[in-house]
Amino acid sequence: MPDSNDTANLLNFIVDRAHVGIFVVNQKREILLWNQFMEIHSERKANTVVGQNLFEAFPELPQKWLDRKIENLFILKNFSFTSWEQRPYLFKFAHNRPVTGGVDCMRQDCTLMPVKDDNGEVQYVCFTLFDATDTSIYQSKLKETTEKLRDLSSRDGLTQIFNRRYVEEALEKEFSRARRYGNKLSVILTDIDFFKKVNDVHGHLAGDEVLRVVSQRLVNGLRDADILGRYGGEEFMVVLPETDNQGAQVLAERLRNIVQAEPIETAGESLTINISLGVSELYENTAAYAQLIAEADLALYQSKENGRNCTTLFRPDF
Amino acid sequence: MAIPVTVVDDSKISRKMVIRALPPQWNIELTQAENGEEAMAAYRDGKAEVMFLDLTMPVMDGYQVLERLQKEQLNTFVVVISADIQPEAQARVKKLGAMAFIKKPVKTSDIENVLHEYGIV
Amino acid sequence: MYYTNTASSKSDKKTAIMSIQPYTEDQNDALQEVVNIAMGQAGDSLARILGRFVELSIPRIHLVNVDDVIKTVTSMVNNNTEISAIRQAFSNSLRGEAIVVFAQTGADDLADLMGYDTDLAPSAEQELLLEVGNLLVGAIINGISDTLETDLSFSAPSLMAERTPLDQVLVPEQLSWSHALLMEVNFAIEGRDAKCHLLMFMAEEAINTLRGILDEFMDGI
Repeated sequence: MPDSNDTANLLNFIVDRAHVGIFVVNQKREILLWNQFMEIHSERKANTVVGQNLFEAFPELPQKWLDRKIENLFILKNFSFTSWEQRPYLFKFAHNRPVTGGVDCMRQDCTLMPVKDDNGEVQYVCFTLFDATDTSIYQSKLKETTEKLRDLSSRDGLTQIFNRRYVEEALEKEFSRARRYGNKLSVILTDIDFFKKVNDVHGHLAGDEVLRVVSQRLVNGLRDADILGRYGGEEFMVVLPETDNQGAQVLAERLRNIVQAEPIETAGESLTINISLGVSELYENTAAYAQLIAEADLALYQSKENGRNCTTLFRPDF
Repeated sequence: MAIPVTVVDDSKISRKMVIRALPPQWNIELTQAENGEEAMAAYRDGKAEVMFLDLTMPVMDGYQVLERLQKEQLNTFVVVISADIQPEAQARVKKLGAMAFIKKPVKTSDIENVLHEYGIV
Repeated sequence: MYYTNTASSKSDKKTAIMSIQPYTEDQNDALQEVVNIAMGQAGDSLARILGRFVELSIPRIHLVNVDDVIKTVTSMVNNNTEISAIRQAFSNSLRGEAIVVFAQTGADDLADLMGYDTDLAPSAEQELLLEVGNLLVGAIINGISDTLETDLSFSAPSLMAERTPLDQVLVPEQLSWSHALLMEVNFAIEGRDAKCHLLMFMAEEAINTLRGILDEFMDGI
């Protein structure tokens, strides 16, 4: 059986050598204990920092925030924590992984523990600092992969704008939200005039380029909240939250002008490309989001009938 | 002479904890009340020379009791015993005329200290 | 937080309900008092840090069915608002989880009261919510632990939801219990928008353990 001296030695050894950072400060923020993990990573020996004010010894620490956190511990007398997810690190320590995953220094989780005396008053704060670098790298990789996956399933391969499924789901969501909060909502359906002719006369590569350029020009014409998707072969849908058909008409005209402003260079040709547009808006008695699409489609058809390269607002007498 | 003391709290177990913490040698006639209205009734019956008063109660809460006592300038020694121990709560009850504030869970020493300070025991 | 429960069917959950005995009137009374004391300590902690008066609602305690949990929770928070939430687990003699829900509208207020800039970066706002949540949960756990003279510990909080509609945050199918003890209280700051709603869940095993602890506590009075 180890005697109390052995136990004390054992505890000292463990606190000093455990693979976590352990350091203690008192109410004056003076460092009272600095274990080996802290020594190695800070490159400061314990005997050079013990007795010093924490913030004087380490001026790069976020003093305002950390000092308040320590003060709260003395007041509240309870555990507190920091996480790499909100604050990547307290101390800028090197980590021992090769530089993959773009992590420049050690990511840290921290526990702050109140050390109380017999009267229940907090005398010291004990910090335990954990190296969370591996976790943070895995988390970043996972996030990156998930985003790539999400993009693949929601983007159109050729134009890189959203695909039909995505934009329809977006419309469904916006429809619900508009219904719940009583907001406005409009839809624009647009397609490229005489697109078949582009393919037939200039070839499919030219057609693809036209689609890419038109998509990009449409993207550039949108406002932040608008959602654009490739709805069909040469057809696009725009969802306009909190917009009525007047506002949608303004946007539609802007898009029409952006697309036709400059010719599209492809296959050694300079092609003039126009779009026709149809606009629908949400009414009190609009039954479902599909109705918005159907009405925009009817309005688009009217634009074609009226000579193309124009915008039509849906009217119930169509 | 037995001093009429009323313990006011909507929780039976809380009243029990207060009663248990009363100094054993104190000669009292004990009444229990579940809310502010019962407390006021006890006062009118002459049963509340000293009142141990909780703050959060239905029907009529501790603050309302203190306001009534203060408004009608009624004469009773009120010790608030509450779980709402924030500094501002303590300040407010003192301003409303409570003589002392004790944090729950109440200890005998807390009550003894107050009673000694005011020369009641 | 909660593990996806693929195996149990609704009927399995219903029969499990039968095995949970509700608490006696005395046990409920004792629990209410313990929770009042603990919530008061949490309110005090918050008041000291914010330097403001904290309005505490009367803590409610009920046994909830997993299907009812949404209804119970949304009766506290306006269903239309976007909320952020943190969760924090506690363990040792009683195991469970606490959730602190913040209405988005109050987040700026909290930042201001805590001495942060009000135009916070997302990570700073998360940090603030975690800090306030930890303050409340830590104080309550300590209060319950001290009053009942039982050992309780808690681990680091983490973010559960950020600016999300409430009905997307708690999904019954993802909860692995059929019956839980739910304690809830609201904290509001006098004269300010900042509000938070605290929920503490303990599942079946803890409900039974707590019963014994309450009996011991009452014997000691």
